[in-house]
Amino acid sequence: MTSKGGAAPSTYTPAPPPTYKAQRPPFFTDSDADWTRSDGRGFHQCRSAFFRTGAVNSAAGSAYAEFGNTKVIVSVFGPRESKKAMMYSDKGRLNCNVSYTTFATTVHGQGSDNKEFSTMLHKALEGAVMLETFPKTTVDVFALVLESGGSDLPVVISCASLALADAGIMMYDLVAGVSVSCLGRNLIIDPILEEESFQDGSLMITCMPSHYEVTQLTITGEWSTANLNEAMQLCLDACSKLAKIMRSCLEEAASASKD
Amino acid sequence: MEFVNPEGLRLDGRRPMEMRQLRAQIGAVAKADGSAVFEMGNTKVIAAVYGPREVQNRSQQINDQALVRCEYSMANFSTGDRRRKPKGDRRSTEISLVIRQTMEECILTNLMPRSQIDIYVQVLQADGGTRSACINAATLALADAGIPMRDLVTSCSAGFLNSTPLLDLNYVEDSAGGPDVTVGILPKVDKVTLLQMDAKLPIDTFENVMQLAVEGCKAIANYIREVLLENTKQLEYRRGL
Amino acid sequence: MVGLSLGEKHFIQGGIDQNLRSDGRKRDAYRPISIETGVIPQANGSARIRIGATEVIASVKAELGRPNALQPDKGKVAIFVDCSPVAEPMFEGRGGEELSTELSVALQRCLMGGKSGAGAGIDLSSLIVAEGKICWDLYIDGLVISSDGNLLDALGAAIKAALSNTGIPRVQVAAGASGDEQPEVDISDEEFLQFDTSGVPVIVTLTKVGRHYIVDATSEEESQMSSAVSVSISRKGHICGLSKRGSAGLDPSVISDMISVARHISEQLINKLDSEISAAEADEDEM
Repeated sequence: MTSKGGAAPSTYTPAPPPTYKAQRPPFFTDSDADWTRSDGRGFHQCRSAFFRTGAVNSAAGSAYAEFGNTKVIVSVFGPRESKKAMMYSDKGRLNCNVSYTTFATTVHGQGSDNKEFSTMLHKALEGAVMLETFPKTTVDVFALVLESGGSDLPVVISCASLALADAGIMMYDLVAGVSVSCLGRNLIIDPILEEESFQDGSLMITCMPSHYEVTQLTITGEWSTANLNEAMQLCLDACSKLAKIMRSCLEEAASASKD
Repeated sequence: MEFVNPEGLRLDGRRPMEMRQLRAQIGAVAKADGSAVFEMGNTKVIAAVYGPREVQNRSQQINDQALVRCEYSMANFSTGDRRRKPKGDRRSTEISLVIRQTMEECILTNLMPRSQIDIYVQVLQADGGTRSACINAATLALADAGIPMRDLVTSCSAGFLNSTPLLDLNYVEDSAGGPDVTVGILPKVDKVTLLQMDAKLPIDTFENVMQLAVEGCKAIANYIREVLLENTKQLEYRRGL
Repeated sequence: MVGLSLGEKHFIQGGIDQNLRSDGRKRDAYRPISIETGVIPQANGSARIRIGATEVIASVKAELGRPNALQPDKGKVAIFVDCSPVAEPMFEGRGGEELSTELSVALQRCLMGGKSGAGAGIDLSSLIVAEGKICWDLYIDGLVISSDGNLLDALGAAIKAALSNTGIPRVQVAAGASGDEQPEVDISDEEFLQFDTSGVPVIVTLTKVGRHYIVDATSEEESQMSSAVSVSISRKGHICGLSKRGSAGLDPSVISDMISVARHISEQLINKLDSEISAAEADEDEM
């Protein structure tokens, strides 16, 4: 849709299959010389983000997000009556599901639900959604990863909060998610798939930037305090920038519908 | 394969009519209304009882008696070769049903109408005779929960290998493919509430094997009674009576 | 599910505010911890841990397998957690699945380090038998038998104890097999290699109730939490993993503060666990 640099080839040539090396590329080792990332970004530079709301007509709200090769579509349905079997609750329910298409990854697999991501999405969003505004009812958030290109979960979360906003679900703030990978001594933000597969550690923050509140935080790998604080600050700054882009996307959509 | 050697000893060194070592402990799960661990040799199960309490699913409510439910589950590490089993496979559904029916029979369900009793059994180690061990553990847990029962149901199995009746089969003997008779009795009224058998046996031999299993049940009943008595004494003692 | 009346809720919250919890503990105090090792004879290593009324069993089973083609010099570790309905009627049928996955994922995150294997509590390269051909697959199973809060910390401690109880048989690889042939192996029945567990981190969960955080929350206290942060910390004081639960958002400075509190508590916990584990092993040897 956007940010597809270069002209499309006139004839179809299948992309060479990715060759995974057993060894890490030299630039990931501790001797970090002048190395640029494979897509030409700096270490602390995010991929250009593209958002659009209203991608699915039948849904109450939906959004499409594209970060480099990571392409995600999220649709929101509801609020609708909770299932009979559920116990009464004076708060609304949020039902989240993240799934991958069959062609999302280079390894041909079955498109499948990702339970881990589904619960993470739920945990990241529930703090931001005003659940008490729709008692006894359920809002369904279905995320579909069209293409997996790294940092899938943060993109899904940002996109989902945009879709919720598009559906008119009350929220305290938009939720923006950003992850940072630790490779050797370097911190790189918004890693792509290749970088993720070599990472020593990763940190993901989802936050509500205007509230300056973290809704979800996960860390893997070994971190020292200094590194951790630097990575968190990096993420938080990126989150607030990301939220601005998301906000402008919503404003655009609102002004377009007025005309 | 030789299951009984010429000296009359089984693979694990027992005599044909010898039971494995029994061990029982009451009150293993703090939050449950009643719970017990029951060991028969290397077979070890935990049972927990919740209830009588309000029926969770209204459509299942019975107006003149209590609803008894049971779930049997096996830990991943319970068997020798580790296998991850999906929950609710056929075998566990069947065993859940067997335990439920056996326990339902001895609980005075008509005393607790419109309520529900849940029995959960978890196998920690499986070495043959899990069915019997589960029933024995469930009996103890129900007694611990103070649920009125007609009698203490106990269960034991017996088999027939190398033309010898064997009491309380372990896993190796059980998987030999010979007949395996599992009996559950109400020891005081001397009635059989559960009887299951795989493979085939001539009718006159069957009577012997079954009689052996019944004897086993009675021995277990004595043991369980002792454990309960001891437990009650402890409770009395703690109360300072 | 914990059903509490308004009065009980106030009592719990008020107690935490005044640093005197319902069971008489201070905010940073654990319930009594007891560990038993070698409880599952058919496993390579196992342990049962009790923290108050919470009880979990962890078992470690080692099987020979083939290493992953992408990482030919590393063994594999899989962590599974099961919540038995014995612990809570809610876990009946598929009811415990959600919590089981959440706990498995959190443990995986806390113990296995990054994708490249850096910072892992279990050194995967020590599990290799013949590079690219044979490795040990460790299956770590956790089972929740009784639940009264703080399950993640208990499981983490149980796995740590089970791993230090684990003996992996010494394996002789027959020389001579070349190329793609799978070499013959001879597994020793008597010689076992002790597992190095000095790098296995402990997990400390801080539960935020009101303005304060508490360690080792009971299920009643957990029902009152606004959010909880589980940090896994190695002996050296490095953070090896973190996950957050609970719906409420947290200020980033609060998270940093929680991490430093958790680090302080982890020092005591590691010492406590070490002494309990060695006592449990001494007990087992005596038997």
